[in-house]
Parts: sequence; C-alpha cells; structure tokens
Amino acid sequence: MPLPDLILDPVNTPGVMAAKLWIRRGSGADPDGERGAHQLLGSSLTRGCGPLDHLALADLVEGCGAGLRCDTHEDGMLISLKCRDTDAAELLPVLGWMLSAPQLRPEQVNLERELSLQALQRQREDPFHLAYDGWRQLAYGTGPYGHDPLGVSDELQVLDAQSLRPLAEQLTCHGSVLALSGTIPTELLSGLEDRPAFQSLQTGQGLNQAGPDLDDQCATETFAPQPQGAVSLHPLATEQVVMMLGRPTRPHGHPDDLALRLLQAHLGVGMSSLLFRRLREDHGVAYDVGVHHPARAAAAPFVLHASSSVERARLSLRLLHQSWQELAERLLNEEDLELARAKFRGQLAHATQTTGQRAERRAQLRALGLDDAHDQRSLEQLKELDAEVLRTTAARCLQTPLLSLCGPKESLHTLAEDWRKLI
Amino acid sequence: MPESTLTCLDFWCKAGSASEATGEEGIAHFLEHMVFKGSQRLGPGQFDRRIEALGGSSNAATGFDDVHFHALVPPEAAAEGLDLLLDLVLEPALEADAYAMERDVVLEEIAQYRDQPDDQVIQQLLTRCCPDQAYGRPILGWETSLLASTPALMRRFHERRYQGSNCCLAVAGALPAGLESRLTASAMAALPKKDVEGGGVQRSTPLRFKAGHAAIQVPRLEAARVLMAWPAAPAEDQLAVMGMDLATTVLAEGRRSRLVQHLREELQIVESIDMDLTVLEQGSLVMLEACCPPDLVEQVEQEVQIVLAAVAAEPIHANELERARQLVGNGLRFSLEAPGAVAGIAGAQTLWGHSKSLLEPLIHLNHWDPETLRTSVFSQLQTEQAFTLVALPGDED
Repeated sequence: MPLPDLILDPVNTPGVMAAKLWIRRGSGADPDGERGAHQLLGSSLTRGCGPLDHLALADLVEGCGAGLRCDTHEDGMLISLKCRDTDAAELLPVLGWMLSAPQLRPEQVNLERELSLQALQRQREDPFHLAYDGWRQLAYGTGPYGHDPLGVSDELQVLDAQSLRPLAEQLTCHGSVLALSGTIPTELLSGLEDRPAFQSLQTGQGLNQAGPDLDDQCATETFAPQPQGAVSLHPLATEQVVMMLGRPTRPHGHPDDLALRLLQAHLGVGMSSLLFRRLREDHGVAYDVGVHHPARAAAAPFVLHASSSVERARLSLRLLHQSWQELAERLLNEEDLELARAKFRGQLAHATQTTGQRAERRAQLRALGLDDAHDQRSLEQLKELDAEVLRTTAARCLQTPLLSLCGPKESLHTLAEDWRKLI
Repeated sequence: MPESTLTCLDFWCKAGSASEATGEEGIAHFLEHMVFKGSQRLGPGQFDRRIEALGGSSNAATGFDDVHFHALVPPEAAAEGLDLLLDLVLEPALEADAYAMERDVVLEEIAQYRDQPDDQVIQQLLTRCCPDQAYGRPILGWETSLLASTPALMRRFHERRYQGSNCCLAVAGALPAGLESRLTASAMAALPKKDVEGGGVQRSTPLRFKAGHAAIQVPRLEAARVLMAWPAAPAEDQLAVMGMDLATTVLAEGRRSRLVQHLREELQIVESIDMDLTVLEQGSLVMLEACCPPDLVEQVEQEVQIVLAAVAAEPIHANELERARQLVGNGLRFSLEAPGAVAGIAGAQTLWGHSKSLLEPLIHLNHWDPETLRTSVFSQLQTEQAFTLVALPGDED
C-alpha cells in the first residue's frame, strides 16, 4: 500500500485533533530471547526520527503543547499524538518518520533500556501486577502473550540499538493504520503521500491483506494452556490476597466474542454486576472486583479478579469460583440478560467520548482485521444472543479456570488446598 | 456539547474529609459508599441497576474539600437519571445492616491501599507536612474511627453538610430540552439554604505547612523515592495557582523540562521525576516525586536542589515560558472533550465560586513573565521551604 491504512473521523471540537498510528508489531512478536524488544523499540521511536534528534523532537512536540507517546501492547504498537488543529500539519510527519526512519542512536536506546529495567523492577511493588504475571505465565507460558510487554529483565538488559535495527526494518512490512479524529485541517491530507515522512512507506503492505502475526499456538481456538485448574502462588507480605481466576479465550471478532463480552458485562461491568453484588454487597469481602477481558488478536484472557483480607479470602475464592461455574451451568434470567445488553451498548457509547478514544477504536478494529462497522453490527446482533447461547459459549470457552494468588505465604497454601477441593 | 451522545449529571457537595469533626475521620468517604446502598425510595443496588439499564454508568469520589456523585446517561434518560441521583444523594437510607456490611468493604479498601507502597509513601509525606490537619489524614479514615462510627453519626454529618448552600449540580454533554425546568422542580431546589458552617471547608483556616526532612524505610519498596512537598496558594487565588502550574511545567513536564532533562536524560540518576500541583481550598500543595536506585538518593537530592536554586537565581528563557504556556493551555483545552470531565471542572469551579467560564484560568497565563515567575514562584519552591521525605526499601523503622 502507498501509505498507512488511513481513517478519517472528522468531529467538531474546539480545535483538537487526535492521531493514532497502530503498527502491527507488538510484544507478541518479540524474538526468542529478546522479550521486551518491541517495547524498547517503541519507546526509542520518540527519541529521534527522520531529521529530528531526541532534543529537536522534544522541542517540536512540547513547544506545540502537544502530547506524543508510543505504547507497546501484545498485538501492536500504538503511537498517539494529540495536538491543536493548527499544529497538526507540522506534527503529523513525525508519525511517518517514527515508522519509517527511527534514528535509534545507541546512547538513547541504552538510556531507554535502563529506564525500562527500573520500571520492570518497580512494577513488582504491586501485588495485582504480580498476581497477573503469575496467571499470564500459567496461561500462555513462553507464548506471545506470556510476558509483560515491558519484557523480561535478563533478556532486556542485553538489548541495544543494534539488536533493534532488524525489528525496526520490519515495522513497515506488516502494515499499519493511521486514524485521525477531531478537527482535521483539510490541507493536512492533500498530498500526504508526497510528504517526505510518508514516502518511504510506499513499499509497505496493507493490513487487510495480512493475517494475524502471532504464534499459531496462541492464535488458534485450540490453544491449550496449563492443565485445567493449575495454580500459581506468589508469596508476599501483604494484608490482602489478590486472586485472579480465568482462561485464555477467543480473539476479538471471533464468533464467540460477542457472547463473551456479554458475559463480561454481566459479571464485571458496573455496580449492578454479579461480582460486585455478590462479593461487595452480599458479603462485604472485597472492594475492587472485576473481569479483565481485553480485545486481542488471539486467545484473549478472561480473568475474574478480587482482593480480600486473609481472613475473608477463602470466602472470596469460593464466591469467584461459584460465579465462574454458574455461567456454564445456569441460564441467565431475562432481566439480567437485558441488563447485560444495555451495559454493552453503554460501554460502546462511553468508550468513544474523546477524539483519542474514537481514533484508537477505529485503528484497533482495522488492525485486528475487522471492518469499520464491526461495533454497529455487534449492536444489531445483541438480540440474537439468548441465555442458552451465553451458557453454551461459557461451557465451550470458560472451562476449569487457572488460578493465580498473591499474598501472605501461609494463606496461599490454605487457599490452594481449598482450590483443589473446589475443582 | 451538541455532538455528545451522553449527558453527565454531576452533583457536588462541600463535604470532603476536611469537613469532618474529631471522631468522624473517614465518614465523608464512607457516606459516599453508603449513598449507593439505597434511599428512602430506592432499595440497595436499585439505583445502579436502573442507571445501567438505561445504558449509563455512575460513580463518586471523595476529596479533601468536596465529594461528587455522577451519572453518565444517554440524553433521553437524563430526566429520570436526575431524579434518581438526587433521591439517592439527598435521602440516603443509611440502614444498620447495610452500614455494617459496607464498613467491611471500606476496611478492605483501606487494606488494598496499604498494600501499595507507593501510596503509603505519599501518605507518609502528607502526614508529616500537614500534621494534625485534614490534608495530612487519609481520606479513607482509620479503622478505629470507622469501627467506632454509627449510622446516627453519619446521618448527623449528612444533615450538617448536604445543605443547599453547600451543593451544586453540573450538567454537561447533550442537554435535553426541559431538563432545566425539571431541575427547578427537583429536590435540589428544595434543599434548605441554611449554611451551618459558613460554606463548609473553612478557607479562613489556612493550611499550616511544616517544612522539614525525614527518611523512612518501607517494606516491599523496589525503588527508592525522594518526595518533596511545598505549600501553594489556595484555589480561590487563580492567578497564583496558574503561576505555580507554569512553574511545575517548566521544571518537570516533558523531556525538555529542567528536572527531567538534567536528572533523567543527562545524569541518568532517576527512572522518573514528576511534579504535581494539587489545587485545594485551604492551600494547594506542590509535590515532587523522584524514583531512583537507593544508592543515588543523596545525589538526587543534591541535583534537585541545584536545579531549583538555578531557576530562583536567573529568570528562565522566554522559550521555556512559552513552552510551558502551550502545555498548560492545551492540558486544559484537551480535557474538555468528554462530558464527565467538563461537568467535573464546571462543578468544582461553581461549587467554590472560582470562575465563570471553563477557559478563564488561561487568561492568567499571560500575567506571568520570567522575572515575575522567578521572584514570586520559583523563590517559593526551594529546598528549605519543602518537606523532603526519603523512602528506602527495607523493614519498617
């Protein structure tokens, strides 16, 4: 394709424009022994590209009062620019240069690597992060989703500018999507392909022609994680035990996906959700409860989570397990089903309030190989999903879950023992 | 916001933790939880169910100065949402069984908060620099005060604080026709206007800030922290607040800011260094946080001091000021896209009578030039005026 796949979403704003450039190379594509490489590459892109070194780039962006960042996810890198419409023409070429002409100066990559290593270490202060790390290991092992996008310390610390160069050369080969939302100056787009920053992309490949670029093991429906009911224990001297319980499920857009999203809404969205009512309102055993189920190109995690004081953790774990089991064993009543549908509709409206949210969703859909009308079509299909469809989907996708616990050592063993009896 | 597909209804009240009397510590936040447990008309959980069945969502937040409850709904559901929200907030049931159950939830929230070392370090700083004041106390309160509290005590707090002159409602997003007249006829308009405590948080009681230096050891900390806090102007002094916003941006926002460039980019002795301005009614607070390896703490303190001294000694360059103006101005402009954010800013400003238009604070940006910033702001951001807290990994002292 001559340019990144371009999406325009003009919206009346007080002169604000958001640009999101999705590059289909994320931490899931980190080479063996180089976990963290794409995150390091992504963060290094903001440290010099095209004719601008790290200082000139910072002067340009910050001088306009704009925001520019690159976040690396499992499925891709997302470069985000937010600026005033009057600065868009000057700033947009930077996105093209980041993609096609990163400088990757050794000293800048080394600095970014040290910052990433320290950030990795600091993440270990958070028991929720440790519990999720344990669950991720159980569920995905050494597969593409098996590590934090920041990487693994031992492998990250040997990376440098030279090791990133082959990955940088790949950035333009797997397709990218550029979505603009907000007040888009008309002159911005005329002749975009003639701008030097975008010319080098002309040999790139269109996204829609490219399939998911993840390990087959992770991308297929038959993805097989650890044995059902496996447990990860991470002892930590905390007051609470963090519990995460779930399974890898389906890619975003899979025929089972919409039913899983409704189950997520039923279980974990809002204060009317089952987990909120059951754990908080009926038993008072947890404050923060929910379901983690992000949109992914391959087997997306579907994880129930809660944290409870040691003396209440056994009850919390039983309630989490009960909530999980019921999905495949009982039919939702019509009132709960209609509430889940309303929450799903509400979520879509809530998630497209800002130009940044709108641009990101549009870019994400195309990056995942889904068409622009995907969300609208999902809304139309809601009525077709009845309680039996949800139950059979749960029976198919949400079998015996994998459990990760983080908390005081002595309580973990008791909980693990309880778990073995439960399953 | 005619393009918006949602309406945000945001009820604000001068009933934050600074409104608590002795023995009420944590009650403002606990009441925020209890409000969602039902009203005289709505049973427990009924409000959430009805709002979410309308395709909406709701939440609340308690601060030092105020509390707000918001519902985000499709415009066609705004009238019903308004009635439900006002009923819930103004007529909470506060039943004994629900009270006991929800107290357990708040105790879990406190435990969760205590398990985050980062939050603990910040609380330790506030406790030391604002001793014996609401701003130095956890908004969540203490277990002892919560366990000793009763529904009757909470009821008295509610009756004392949720008065007409202490409350306001901000509505933003798609505004359906007739909402205004509905509001005029609502329970909000019927609130008594008496003002028991002269407007709630006593602005006449200025923040009593204590400068100093302390070092602590914090279990499970993986990186050392150097934290500094300074007192700043109260929220009503918008000119001074905007000056401080510019100063913290010059110092610590972006790769070209003084502290980030010197400590992270050049010396490479910190993983991150940030400054935040928390705008408060009795007196705002500026906080600096640097994360670094434990063996570099002393050097980090020294270099921060050098940078702060430099901006107090020489006026900053004109282009540094212009960069900061752009970042501060766009920070506000970019935050006005979503109805929830607009209602939040409008609600807080209206509640405290600060400004009439959302972008009014930007007018003050042009007041500040390099020399005025140096003499009036940077001179106040020096090490000797700060409370500095060094937190190192290790067992508690």
